[in-house]
Amino acid sequence: MPGFLADHRWSQQHLSHYVEGDLAPRARHRLDRHARDCVDCERGVRAMRTLVYAVHGGLAGISAPATIFDRVRAAGPGGSGG
Amino acid sequence: MRPLRGKPDPASAAPHTPAATEASLLARAQAGDIGAFEQLSGRYADRLFMLLLRLLGDRAEAEDVAQEVMLRAWQGITRFQSRSSYFTWLYRIAVNEANRALGKRARRPADVSIGADELQLPAPPAADPARQAENAELRRALGRALAELPPPLRTAIVLRDVEGLSTQESAEIAGVSQAAFKSRLHQARLRVRAAVGDEALVTSGG
Repeated sequence: MPGFLADHRWSQQHLSHYVEGDLAPRARHRLDRHARDCVDCERGVRAMRTLVYAVHGGLAGISAPATIFDRVRAAGPGGSGG
Repeated sequence: MRPLRGKPDPASAAPHTPAATEASLLARAQAGDIGAFEQLSGRYADRLFMLLLRLLGDRAEAEDVAQEVMLRAWQGITRFQSRSSYFTWLYRIAVNEANRALGKRARRPADVSIGADELQLPAPPAADPARQAENAELRRALGRALAELPPPLRTAIVLRDVEGLSTQESAEIAGVSQAAFKSRLHQARLRVRAAVGDEALVTSGG
């Protein structure tokens, strides 16, 4: 049981590393093996994957304001320092 | 929207002069041609503005900072030496200016709305209103959680997960080593996960 708890704490801290593919094979195997027996960590892996998927690509269709170059135009060619 | 994974496709965003390459625009801009600078930087203007919206959470401030980013880029263009891509260089200026703006704020981080309703999840099937409601709620929860992150952690998750940039490019833009960037990213994800909760994430994730 102490081994299970140690693996649990470690797995909970490495869920992001896991979904990012940042764990070495041995560490990945450790988390895989633990998540097979741990409902919380199995769910944690799914939650982390959803998080990364869900935040990706928001704000589609937003355009830059037409004023974005106003200060550049005000500065003029000399404003480039060149 | 332009591709999010990897660098943007330069050929997709120069409608007026399709033959103009980034290198030729850069050379002209460095020689003092404002039109070339606008064409070059305009290719990334929408993405840059969206980045600022995500980092600042305030449209008026994002518009102000976007103008400042372009001015800084214009003022520094002769010093750009192509050691990184122009996009990376411009994004790095944007992150620095966003951080400068955040530093000026007297408001607490919790007062910074990152625009939860604008963080769009992939649309669920229209015939499933229950799932739509769950996704909308998750979207709001994620927006709140992102807004509450300290700027360095928010920058990390926005560059890597929201923008979909590579770790190498994100680290370069953030101005830190890849190891430091990954540490920030993992911390950010753990905090967002803790704030939103596994239940909400797993339920909405199916």
